[in-house]
Amino acid sequence: MLFSRANSNSIRINNNMSIKEAAVNTPTELSLSRDDASEIVYPKTSQIQLAWRDITDGMKNWRIWLTLAYQDIKLRYRRSVLGPFWITISMAITVYTMGFLYGHLFHMDLQQYYPYLVGGMLTWALISSAITELTDTFITSDGLLKQIKLPYSLYVHRIIARNMIIFFHNLLVIVPIYVIFHEGAKINWYTLLFVPGLIFLYLNALIFGLILAMIGARYRDISQIIKSLIQVVFFATPIMWNPMILPEKDRIFVYLNPAYSYVELIRAPLLGTAPTLLNIGVTAGMAVAGGLVCMKLFTRYRSRIIYWL
Amino acid sequence: MARIDLRKVSVEFPVYNINARSFKKRFLRVATGGSVVEDANQHVIVNALKDITLSMKDGDRIGLIGHNGSGKSTFLRLLSRIYEPSNGDIRIDGNVSPLLDIMHGIEAELTGYENIITRGTVLGLSRQQIKEKTQEIIELSGLGDYLAMPLRTYSSGMMVRLAFAISTSINPDILLIDEVFGAGDADFMEKARKKMVSLLNQSSIVVMATHSDELIQEFCNKALLLEGGRIKYFGDVATALEAYHARDKTKQ
Repeated sequence: MLFSRANSNSIRINNNMSIKEAAVNTPTELSLSRDDASEIVYPKTSQIQLAWRDITDGMKNWRIWLTLAYQDIKLRYRRSVLGPFWITISMAITVYTMGFLYGHLFHMDLQQYYPYLVGGMLTWALISSAITELTDTFITSDGLLKQIKLPYSLYVHRIIARNMIIFFHNLLVIVPIYVIFHEGAKINWYTLLFVPGLIFLYLNALIFGLILAMIGARYRDISQIIKSLIQVVFFATPIMWNPMILPEKDRIFVYLNPAYSYVELIRAPLLGTAPTLLNIGVTAGMAVAGGLVCMKLFTRYRSRIIYWL
Repeated sequence: MARIDLRKVSVEFPVYNINARSFKKRFLRVATGGSVVEDANQHVIVNALKDITLSMKDGDRIGLIGHNGSGKSTFLRLLSRIYEPSNGDIRIDGNVSPLLDIMHGIEAELTGYENIITRGTVLGLSRQQIKEKTQEIIELSGLGDYLAMPLRTYSSGMMVRLAFAISTSINPDILLIDEVFGAGDADFMEKARKKMVSLLNQSSIVVMATHSDELIQEFCNKALLLEGGRIKYFGDVATALEAYHARDKTKQ
């Protein structure tokens, strides 16, 4: 309801501005549309083509976003002795104390609970920080956005890449788990599913990141809302607790929670098991639905983003 | 061959007052039925540029003049493709390099060399090209060993030197400049001037926004006078400057 209201309002702005008439050329069409010098041919590129080109250009310019993501990490830990390994250490302190505390509080079998918690926390740290930072994508990069023309999707890649780099630092935390708690976490063929899982997560982050970044730039309260919602989702998703402790009829709520399926995509391979078909189905469904919404929103509002900043 | 054509181009900014920006207000509006706060939520639209029709071709050195808020910066951002026109058609042939705010994106914690790499990458240079340009940047900036130090140890003049040297190290077809000349000591100003002249000569189209009459008279062969987002005059430099200053005189 809220959103549809917001939407119709923005469409009105668009109509006033007749954005469809506007066209921006690109060097690729240079040879195609060049006519006699007397008659200037203005390129007519549709908004959907421009949106699509933004996304493909964003991928082609991987060197730019990878450099920027790397620089972000470097800047954060500049002048500290251990540098980015503080990420690993602080994560290790959190999960190992949590595992000890909750394992005893809930009288859990530590051999099973520790690996489950660590795998879940690592994945959740990636997902939650990616979501909160992605909402602020365009707000935090407005300086660069107003200074040089780069694809909008490039900024989203930058945030995801940065979070992925942090995730790989965090991943070291799980190494002792394989040694100490080898009953609950095994390295086997299923571990390889980690790679497609992460790639799929990246794709989802790109889709939902673009949506969130656009909404976040237009409505500044959204990023605060997301930050508090994330906390709720953390407790509602089986990360600190196992869905098996719920009565069977209540487990359906867990299975319908997409956050659970996203976490399983990474946690299951880390523990040496495969994500279930349900997990794959839910996340694939989310990706398709998100992809459609993303394409629709991005086509319509791409050219407006810069005016929202 | 570079060329820029604009046909009836307008750029309109929706100005979101704080009311419209906030989700709370939107929610309240729905809750109160809409009519009460409707007026407060009306978007104000600013016509930053209106009905701009002009062509620029090879060899054009255009001085962009106008009072504050006349649309100079918007015009440069339009040519950089950062702003897309809300109306009209635009066609730009040739690669564009904007020197809009050279100090932006310079990281104080990173060393001079690191800044060269990041900045060069963002400007679209390959690793190899950056390597080639680095020597040039070292010479122009004259910073020597300081390049291995973090920028926070630099004086502001040194930062400007580096930013200027990095930004001018690319050779574009179309060069857009927004008030670049400024800080630096006399020795550097001389070097910067030479660099600027050679950059101006290499680029096939230059659009330069500045408040300095001398710079325009020295470098430009055409001038574009903007007033309130519209073209007041486009053509001869002397006439444009006269028209520009005529308004000041009538005010006095």
